[in-house]
Amino acid sequence: MILTVAWIVPLLGAVALAAFPRWSEARARLWAAVMAALSLLALVVAWVGFDPAGPLFQHVDELQWVPSIGVAYRVGVDGIALAVATMSALLFVAAIVYPVDTLGQPRQYYAWLLFLQAVSLGVFLTLDLLLFYVFFDLTLVGMFFLIGRWGHGTPQVSALKFFLYTFAGSLLLLLAIIGLYLSIEPHSFDMRVLIERQPLAGTGLYAGLVFLALMLGFAIKTPLVPLHTWLPQAHVDAPGPASAILAGVLLKMGTYGMIRLPFAMMQETFAEYSLTIAIVALVAILYGALVALGQSNLKRRIAYTSINHMGYTVLGIAVAAAFFADNQAARQLALTGATVEMVAHGLITGALFLICGSFWQRTGDYELDHYGGLAHRAPLLTGFTVLAAFASLGMPGLAGFVAEFQVFAGTFAVYPWLAVLGVLGILITAALFLDMLRRLFFGRLPSHLGGFSELKRAEWGVLGVLSLGILVIGVAPQFLLTLIEASSALLVGVR
Amino acid sequence: MLWTLALFPLLGATLLYLGGRHLSRGGLALAAALVLLVTLGLAGLAVTNDWQGGHAWSETLVLTLELSTAGSVFALTIPLIALPIVVYAGYHEVALRTGYRRGSRQGARLIGLLLGFVGAMQLLVLAGDFLTLLIAWELVGACSWALISHKWGQAEVPKEAVQAFLVTRFGDLGLYIAAAAVFAGTGGFGYADLAALDGDLLSMAVAGILLAAAAKSAQLPFSSWLFAAMAGPVPVSALLHSATMVAAGIYLLSRLQPVLSAVDWFAPLVIGLGLATALAGGVVGAFQDHAKKLLAASTSAQYGLMWVAVGAGFPGVALLHFVAHAFLKAGLFLAAGLAERQTGSYDLRDMRQGSRLPGIALATAVPSLALAGVIPLGAAWSKEQIAAAAGHQAAWLAVLVVLAGGLSALYATRFQLLAYGRPLRRDPTMLPQGPRPSRAESGALVFLAGVTLLLSLAWWPGAQTWLAEALPRQLPEGKPWELILSLALVVLGIAVGFILTRRRRRLSAWESWASTWFGLPAVIQGVAMGALLLGRALARFDDRVVDAGLRGTARFGQWLARRHAREGEAFAEGVPGMATRLSEWGGRWARQAQSGQTHHYYAGISLGLVVIFAILLIGALL
Repeated sequence: MILTVAWIVPLLGAVALAAFPRWSEARARLWAAVMAALSLLALVVAWVGFDPAGPLFQHVDELQWVPSIGVAYRVGVDGIALAVATMSALLFVAAIVYPVDTLGQPRQYYAWLLFLQAVSLGVFLTLDLLLFYVFFDLTLVGMFFLIGRWGHGTPQVSALKFFLYTFAGSLLLLLAIIGLYLSIEPHSFDMRVLIERQPLAGTGLYAGLVFLALMLGFAIKTPLVPLHTWLPQAHVDAPGPASAILAGVLLKMGTYGMIRLPFAMMQETFAEYSLTIAIVALVAILYGALVALGQSNLKRRIAYTSINHMGYTVLGIAVAAAFFADNQAARQLALTGATVEMVAHGLITGALFLICGSFWQRTGDYELDHYGGLAHRAPLLTGFTVLAAFASLGMPGLAGFVAEFQVFAGTFAVYPWLAVLGVLGILITAALFLDMLRRLFFGRLPSHLGGFSELKRAEWGVLGVLSLGILVIGVAPQFLLTLIEASSALLVGVR
Repeated sequence: MLWTLALFPLLGATLLYLGGRHLSRGGLALAAALVLLVTLGLAGLAVTNDWQGGHAWSETLVLTLELSTAGSVFALTIPLIALPIVVYAGYHEVALRTGYRRGSRQGARLIGLLLGFVGAMQLLVLAGDFLTLLIAWELVGACSWALISHKWGQAEVPKEAVQAFLVTRFGDLGLYIAAAAVFAGTGGFGYADLAALDGDLLSMAVAGILLAAAAKSAQLPFSSWLFAAMAGPVPVSALLHSATMVAAGIYLLSRLQPVLSAVDWFAPLVIGLGLATALAGGVVGAFQDHAKKLLAASTSAQYGLMWVAVGAGFPGVALLHFVAHAFLKAGLFLAAGLAERQTGSYDLRDMRQGSRLPGIALATAVPSLALAGVIPLGAAWSKEQIAAAAGHQAAWLAVLVVLAGGLSALYATRFQLLAYGRPLRRDPTMLPQGPRPSRAESGALVFLAGVTLLLSLAWWPGAQTWLAEALPRQLPEGKPWELILSLALVVLGIAVGFILTRRRRRLSAWESWASTWFGLPAVIQGVAMGALLLGRALARFDDRVVDAGLRGTARFGQWLARRHAREGEAFAEGVPGMATRLSEWGGRWARQAQSGQTHHYYAGISLGLVVIFAILLIGALL
């Protein structure tokens, strides 16, 4: 029940916002925040009730829906899904609370955010492939309107590009899902059955095609180089909180999908292609970091670091999938690291994009060269940005390190040379973030920034909560690692 | 319990960072000194009671703290060195920025970060596994970045800080590799697991550790990041060169030397790198005219000597030289800061504060003589020990070590005479003058000079036997000719130093090239610029080429749609239209046959019959 509550509550909240046209901005925002927080609370309850020694999927609900074709309402989580979903819910609360110019349509704005939260959580919580696909596509709708209606620059174009590109990925996904569905007798969309029976093992070309379609679909969403070009433009034109959700939650659907579908359901096929996927991930790591270094636009730079960080996640997944390697501990470490990276990246990049939103609200400008010397005018903003930037470049004591260290250590044991090349990514990331900090906050204050104002309470409050999360995961990640390892152990076959 | 040793200064750092601006600068310095005294006390307790520490993130990731010989030496030395430095910082830096009685926000940040630096370094020397080590290793680097950027308002300073951070982080990558290699071989991250490795994994781990240590210790080819680090304030340099950051490299090597030396290329590589850095750093120091950069080059050179000791198989000797060097180098930096306050720049050619600040000049002479290797100071003894250690490997190595010692005598003399010698002209009023150093500042310097003097005890045989027992590592036996040659070279170095400083010299092109690490900074900047240009080129490539595929697809779709709208639609419309016209025409033709005249019908029937018979006939014939 608790999982159903977690995704239904924001949906009901969105419906209510649509139904009461007289609500003021403050009221709409408060309502949305409460609904999102309730959803988060439900997930926290689910977390507390999760038994690390128990079966893979817990809190399972099942309700027959269309029995003739094997579709049912099925929800349930393993540790990986629960960790990512909880992080997402937290990020949604943060995005809703973060002050933004709603262009006179607060109800609609918050309704779309709540809708997006409901369907995003649906992606992580469902155990039915068809529902997974439906939720997966509905997230595009929510994000399309958020970018198109509340964006800046050329929001309509960016929203359209985002929608069509990722929708093309979804179609491949649909084909693959049908392929998976048909491969099993009796036909079923039940993920648990598919994971248990591994129906495509040993089917050669058929399995290869299904795998290719799945990976292409998820690679567009993740995104992996060279399928990433929808991302920077969508980010630059999206409002800050929508960017935070896009990077923090929507990108995770790609990597989460990789773990849930190809990794869990097609172990044999994934093992065969794991080196290829790992190399693609390495390219994403280095290419994403270098291109980010080459950007002079604040938001584009952060957008490209997402490609780099999601590369670490995919690298971890690919290594964990190398079932032929007998070093199970290393593979488990890689998978755990990949999941921690998802959570860490969600919080860190979420914070960074919210900060971008604050910059936009104050100056309407993302050009790094137009800034400088802000450390004195806005010490809080400087402090939070420094923290998030260091977390993103993998500084120990902060969340990103816990993830990247595990990914590298696990990768080295399976593909040593990929790890040796991959660590260069964190050097380039360090360069690009320190350069960014220098250009924003240090040096002389340009005269046109004389009126630049410090963070407001709502802003630093939200950033404070996210930073606390980043810090806690960095210093004492036991609570997170226990949850994730419960599932990663089962998935790589340790337990 | 061992955690308190690292966490207490970190906690103090946080508190002072946040609340320090409400304290007066004296209060700030006092609070920081108290934190360090407690840390020192804790370190003493930890060493005597053999404390341990552990913190499990998960089954695989376990952070462990343990005290080793090297760790104990460091854990005691670090707070002791930091103590005078924070007091000095409180009076030297905080007052400078504000002019008010209350300390400023910047001052609180500086003191807080200095304490954080100490805490991170304590964590580093207490780490019992590679994960904890890596955490501390990177934290030390981050602290140094924040400290070097202290004066962030000047455009150049943050750039230098970034350079220093990136060069050392490049070394950190080695530790990532080392930790991963240990895990790949054993499934754990402990130092003990390193010993269980063999073959390629051990080689990779050792290579990674060496890379990390070389970058932190500013050995070739990474030496020049210390020049970039000079953008930081004086107390930062004093701490960074003596007990933290740069010291991390030699700590790690002497801690792990027994395992590392199992790889056969370890000893030659370490000795080679160390000697090259010691000699090159000596040359740089001989020509460098920037007070702090001269000292920075000397730091690289002195750590190079310690590397030689580790490579020769005597990590204990490296530890002793580390301690002696830490106190003298911290003192020299503080002295350089005092001279700079008088003249407004670190240019040695304009200093010569000897007659204005005779007391300070005298106090500076102690660490200067120690750096020169003059008997009976402690640093001289540890340097002779290094020469003896090198002599165990080969006599020519000992010769090179004492040659490096001669170079240190040269640049130490230059520093002392240029910074605190007598002015060349009789008219000191020509130069601008700053405020006289406060009692706290000179006190800090005198304290460090005093400890340096105290370390002369190392020459006393009783102390030597105690050291050999306290450090469970053997000390090398020196040969008389080494000592004699060494002393001769020291005297020669001092003499050349005197000659070089007798008048203002203009550096030749070769000398100024040598004085800036033989063009190394340019190489590093070239690499950085190359990466940046590559990034920009890839960014353009991404916009124009990768995204072009997408735009092309979109354009193709639009083109296809337009084609369909015109030709496709026309075709689709045309086919049924054609069919309609065809049937219409057929209908008209059929209607013409219905004329209503009987002979037409008969003619038609007979024609039909003929056709039928013809068909039947063909069928029968075939």
